[in-house]
Amino acid sequence: MLAYAILAGLIFGLYFSLVGLGLNLVFGVMRIVNLAHGDVLMLGAFAAFWLFKLFGLHPVLSIFAVFAVFVAVGWPLYYLVVPRLLRAKDPEMLSIIFFFGLSQVIVALASIAFGSSERSIPGRVLGSGPYQILGQSFPAAWVVTGGVSALAVAFVYLYLYRTRLGYVTRAVMVHREEALATGIDVHRVSAIAFGIGLALSGIAGVFAPFMLGSVTPAMGVDINITSFAVIVVGSLGNPLGTVLGGIAYGISLMFMQTYFSSWANLLPYLLLITILLVRPSGLLGRKVRSA
Amino acid sequence: MSAELLAASGIEAGYGKVQVLWGAGLSVQDGETVVLLGANGAGKTSLLKVLMGLIPLWRGALQFAGLDMAHLRTDRRVRAGLAYMSEIGCFPGLTVEENIRIGGQFVASAELGRRMKELYDIFPAIAERRDTLASSLSGGQRKMLGIAKALAGRPKLLIMDEPSAGLSPRLVAEVIDVLGRLGGQGLSLLIAEQNVNFLSLADRVYTLDGGRIGFTGSVAEMHDNDALRRAYFGLK
Repeated sequence: MLAYAILAGLIFGLYFSLVGLGLNLVFGVMRIVNLAHGDVLMLGAFAAFWLFKLFGLHPVLSIFAVFAVFVAVGWPLYYLVVPRLLRAKDPEMLSIIFFFGLSQVIVALASIAFGSSERSIPGRVLGSGPYQILGQSFPAAWVVTGGVSALAVAFVYLYLYRTRLGYVTRAVMVHREEALATGIDVHRVSAIAFGIGLALSGIAGVFAPFMLGSVTPAMGVDINITSFAVIVVGSLGNPLGTVLGGIAYGISLMFMQTYFSSWANLLPYLLLITILLVRPSGLLGRKVRSA
Repeated sequence: MSAELLAASGIEAGYGKVQVLWGAGLSVQDGETVVLLGANGAGKTSLLKVLMGLIPLWRGALQFAGLDMAHLRTDRRVRAGLAYMSEIGCFPGLTVEENIRIGGQFVASAELGRRMKELYDIFPAIAERRDTLASSLSGGQRKMLGIAKALAGRPKLLIMDEPSAGLSPRLVAEVIDVLGRLGGQGLSLLIAEQNVNFLSLADRVYTLDGGRIGFTGSVAEMHDNDALRRAYFGLK
């Protein structure tokens, strides 16, 4: 039972890393808080649902469509919204208010468009039969989701640490003013990061039906709480710290569900409160917070 | 006679509604080292930021290498050959090598590799620590990294904001020595400073006070001026 809880926690941890990754990337680069993050994930989930239902598109293939569309929407949305927020005296607070409003609009429009009934995609779509890992048996959907999440994390690592765009993106994270002074086109870099951040949230949404249960327009609120727990535990503003936060969250969740199942829903709140009181800079700490 | 690289005249700018520059102007010839001397709050950083497009120009003219730069974005100015070393100078959360790569962001990969090798030859102290975070370097090493980062793109003109800030006199002497060698190799330099030791590098000097240019001339001419001698050298 212990081995199962740890391995399932790792699989879910990889998925929760993906859930929080987009939010932390956007915060790291722009220092704005995207409270509509959970709703973007919800839109990704509905996109996967409708692509599967209408066209029979496999969820793994719908990743590419979701990525392309969300980047294409996120890029101009950045130029429309974020520079205005950043010109404010308190961009973080203004961004919380703005994206809260945007979140409400997205939920209302999604409710009108999709109705409030629960939607799902059968788990067998991602593979038949359980997979054996170290003697433990897991649903194929979990394993595929964990694998895709690991690939998404690797993609973000390569983007940030192995490309020129990544170097300058991290420079903006470290010191926006110095980045401007160095001649970095900060808005272009931020717009790309914003688009990629939204797309990562959308991709997390594609797998929500398999990992989080059914999909509804109102699911974003709980996802926001989980995402904030993950990125605060990892390190706020450090995208790769999200992986540590995601795995810590995933393993904690599996332990709670295994040994204290009736308390499991309290986990994100308990983790948030504990980490903010004990180690507010996150598990990775201040040294890596900014890059 | 060498060509005029940078020409700024009648510069007026400020922050919000507060004006801090009042018709300031200066020029830098190709291969020349110019020192902009002024006390804290004189407007040196503001003037440099206007030259780099980091704060908007309200009124005035600004040309660099024959191009009208008055309303160009900072990244376009850097592409045109301007480089700016702020007081911070580098990105503390990135490694030495990453900092230099960012300085050479507009240089082709193969060329950047060659350029990095040249820079590591010029600055051996940071070459040894190329994979360490800039935040773990000493103050002097950070300045050297800032200079290397600014030079990575092979700029025509390097603009520096108080390179002596936070350094001990021994490290200031090291920075002056490096800049002297770079100037000797033909690099054009515009250095904003309040430390008069940097005048040893200067072909020409401007003084800035209250957002206005006061004196313009050589160091020798500055020494001949009683008021300037008292103000900047503390001599009677």
